[in-house]
Amino acid sequence: MRRADTKNEPAVYRRVVLKNASPYHYMKVCLVLEDESTRLSAVDLKQFIVTGLKSLYGEVGAALTFDLLKYDEDSLTALLRVYSRGLVKLWSSLTLLGSYQNQTCAFRVLQVSPFLLALTGNSRELQLD
Amino acid sequence: MFGDLERTPRTLLVCDRSSFLDEKNRLSSQVEQLHFNYKVSMLLPECSSAPSHLEAVLNSFNSFYLIRKLPIHELLDKHFLETSIHQGLVSGLSYRTRIDEDNCVALMPNGHLSLSLDKDSFELLGVEGKLSKFNQRTNSRYVVSVDLTDSSLAPGGRGYQRLVTGLRSRLQLKTDFLLSHHPGGGASLQALLSRCDWSEHRPEVRSHTLTDLFCPLLTSDLQSCDPHLLLEWLGAVDADVSCENSSSSFLSSLVCPEPKTTMSRALSVSVCGLLSPQDVHRLIQQIRCYLDQPRLESWASLTVHGFVDSPVSWGGDEHGVLRGGENFYSLLMFHDHTYHLHLGTGAHDTCPP
Repeated sequence: MRRADTKNEPAVYRRVVLKNASPYHYMKVCLVLEDESTRLSAVDLKQFIVTGLKSLYGEVGAALTFDLLKYDEDSLTALLRVYSRGLVKLWSSLTLLGSYQNQTCAFRVLQVSPFLLALTGNSRELQLD
Repeated sequence: MFGDLERTPRTLLVCDRSSFLDEKNRLSSQVEQLHFNYKVSMLLPECSSAPSHLEAVLNSFNSFYLIRKLPIHELLDKHFLETSIHQGLVSGLSYRTRIDEDNCVALMPNGHLSLSLDKDSFELLGVEGKLSKFNQRTNSRYVVSVDLTDSSLAPGGRGYQRLVTGLRSRLQLKTDFLLSHHPGGGASLQALLSRCDWSEHRPEVRSHTLTDLFCPLLTSDLQSCDPHLLLEWLGAVDADVSCENSSSSFLSSLVCPEPKTTMSRALSVSVCGLLSPQDVHRLIQQIRCYLDQPRLESWASLTVHGFVDSPVSWGGDEHGVLRGGENFYSLLMFHDHTYHLHLGTGAHDTCPP
């Protein structure tokens, strides 16, 4: 999966192309709840996502490791990090999570990228008005 | 059973190492080929406020215009073609259009107009185009790329008439449009602006000082640091994500790459808007001057994000969005004039230059 081509000038110029080598994928997600006054802590949110993984993929799914890198309690927006091979599992379980404590809810996936850096510069967030 | 679930779309990361002193370094051309830059962010270690020469460059990024509901055929106006496009003075991009669902337009500084259209719009327009490289299976998106400086598109000619009629009468393509001009090109835009609803915008500069943060040990050979881990750390600093976790913590196990050190403070500055490659280039030159002086830390980093929904990324290469339309580069510069350039793209992009 990797290709590296090195030019002839030793020690000065080097070019390496890495294809599909990113160990992680990063997701920016937002939880939308029916009752907007509901508050969730970061621990609650992570526990909720683990519950979703468990109900879709069973105990093995619940063992999928992912990180909650950042969480904003006011906007219910979170940054998640997951091993690339677990992305589809995490994403699908987020999609199918439909209720939190007996109220309907939905996860909006705002951005997905193999680079955390890309999540900090999304031109779709440019507001000029 | 879940084997297919473990695959992800293609991603590319190009890592270049070279020196500013090497005559054959390609940095200038790589910077200039990314025409539509959305955000520039700079990280200066062991610095609490930007020196005046850097501050001056950050505040002198060119302003740009937002034109609301611009009929795209206005870009082919004879006067505008002659005074702006043929002189290579303007570039522009449709605003709030999503390339995975809407029609998108880009006007490059070399006079190429690139339209990324859905199938119906493409057939209505009736101008030669190509099937998008990234939607071959669904046949749902087409790319029309025309060189407005070419003699076949001279005002009055048949090719010109066909394109104008297509845009004005058949497709009636209107979109909010961001337009920027090179220094000295402002006057030539006035005639176009007078016919439209427009506003002028200055790039937004934000800066904040970070204190007591972990930092990977960065040396100019960069042997110790994996590029993905380095970009993750830069992203964590930019997104204000904490790296102070232990491997056993429930919420996050993100840590700073080893070997690491601590920085007592760092300055992070970002500029957002439609930014020209020339402005980015000036900033790089000033950061080099900054690094020439003796400092505690001998590096500085600069990250430039391209527009996600631009029909083109580097050069005139087609660009699209599958899961994310990232097209960015991150430049790590050192005191000894060496630099490391990381260029990253998502699935719907060709390999960066």
